[in-house]
Amino acid sequence: MENKVAVKPIEIKQLGEQELGIQWSDGHLSLFQVRDLRLKCRCAVCVDEWSGEKIMKEKEVPQDVKPVSIETVGRYGLRVVWSDGHQTGIYTYDYLRQLA
Amino acid sequence: MLTEQEVLQALKQVEDPDLKQDIVSLGFVKNLIMTDAEVKFSIQLTTPACPVKEQLKEQSLQAVKLIAGNRVIKIDLTSDVKASAHKKAAVLPQVKNVIAVASGKGGVGKSTVAANLALALQRSGARVGLLDADIYGPSMPLMFGITASPHVNEEQQIVPIEKHGLKIMSMGFLSKDDAPVIWRGPMVHGIIQQFLTKVAWGELDYLVIDLPPGTGDAQLTLTQLAPLSGAVIVTTPQEVSLIDARKGLKMFQKVNVPILGIVENMSYYLDSNGKRIAIFGAGGGERTARELQVPFLGEIPIEPQVAAAGDQGEPIVIKIPDSAAGVAFKSVAGRVAQELSIENMKGPELPSDFKLAWKTK
Ligand SMILES: Nc1ncnc2c1ncn2[C@@H]1O[C@H](COP(=O)(O)OP(=O)(O)O)[C@@H](O)[C@H]1O
Ligand SMILES: [Mg+2]
Ligand SMILES: [Zn+2]
Repeated sequence: MENKVAVKPIEIKQLGEQELGIQWSDGHLSLFQVRDLRLKCRCAVCVDEWSGEKIMKEKEVPQDVKPVSIETVGRYGLRVVWSDGHQTGIYTYDYLRQLA
Repeated sequence: MLTEQEVLQALKQVEDPDLKQDIVSLGFVKNLIMTDAEVKFSIQLTTPACPVKEQLKEQSLQAVKLIAGNRVIKIDLTSDVKASAHKKAAVLPQVKNVIAVASGKGGVGKSTVAANLALALQRSGARVGLLDADIYGPSMPLMFGITASPHVNEEQQIVPIEKHGLKIMSMGFLSKDDAPVIWRGPMVHGIIQQFLTKVAWGELDYLVIDLPPGTGDAQLTLTQLAPLSGAVIVTTPQEVSLIDARKGLKMFQKVNVPILGIVENMSYYLDSNGKRIAIFGAGGGERTARELQVPFLGEIPIEPQVAAAGDQGEPIVIKIPDSAAGVAFKSVAGRVAQELSIENMKGPELPSDFKLAWKTK
């Protein structure tokens, strides 16, 4: 019986000052500029839960924003603590994969 | 002259039906010794509960017989349970596989399935623990007839209570009076965390967790606290139960916990002539499994003895192992172990407590 295998990260690495790499179980490699990732946060502080409208003011996010730490949440996503203090966002693997 | 290579070549004809590879490539063949008089080796399976172990042994025997001349062939079946791929975690580091037993609603027999599943795995030769995480309605004290309270060891860890070879922990062991335990969310979180980190489980092949019924926050919390290797969903054939089972399945899929499969409990009743009577309709669990593309693990009949055994502190798998329900539970346990082995062959994964600290200049 086919049990649908979810694609999942097998390696997550800092590639430079500003770049994050995720190696996926199916061979795909995603590259992210970390500030882009910060701007794509979908948490309730950044995006209105009802309207889906972006509340985050992009201009206010520092140009040199960086992760402080990145950790797994259960088996489905990553939580990023950012250098600007933001830490309410969870990036699901599905979402990350959509992004890159 | 018969060579080792020839024997291994012959054994390459034998395929594990679940892992879909031959037993030599899988590394199952061990300790091959050949003399003029005999060929001796062991087959090391990924679980002692492997439902096809006798079949693999017989096929190996036949394959080697063709080339062994008049040498005596001796095959030893052993097992080494594989650890779940993501299990390099700080939580439960000595437990190879953590199995959550869940249901969309109460009363479908989730606890009964959890208890008998744990016992059947233990009977097959595995080291097994059973955690009753249904904090509001713990059932393991009654099901195993345990009235004692666990003690705390020198390392300040709670020692689980051993019964029938199982290590068992339940909220029911801790509350002194019989008043229902009414705790709020954050407390539930804390208690479950304690069960996972402050209990001296020791080395286990399988830890079976009886989850609280439903698919809300309590269940989700557990998927984040415990490094779950997979979930078993229990349902009855009734439509309402199947709908809830679907919800449960979706929840686990959303958080990437592999679904080991669906068990249909109270599937049918055996009348005095041994005829199956499907009281709640037939085949619903299997249909749902097929629809959602997850394994169907089996059907458990309704038998009054199942309930009686549960009330008397000796689950049916040990009380009346040869009853229809007893046999069905053992078969389900074999299937669960099998699905876990398949899951564990799926390759690398991040440890469940992965953390990357960003380096700055
Ligand atoms: N296959 C079965 N045949 C007969 N009685 C059963 C069976 N499975 C469960 N029961 C009984 O049904 C009741 C509910 O089962 P339980 O395991 O406590 O359900 P849950 O944990 O889902 O609430 C118990 O009294 C139990 O003994
Ligand atoms: Mg129960
Ligand atoms: Zn955010």
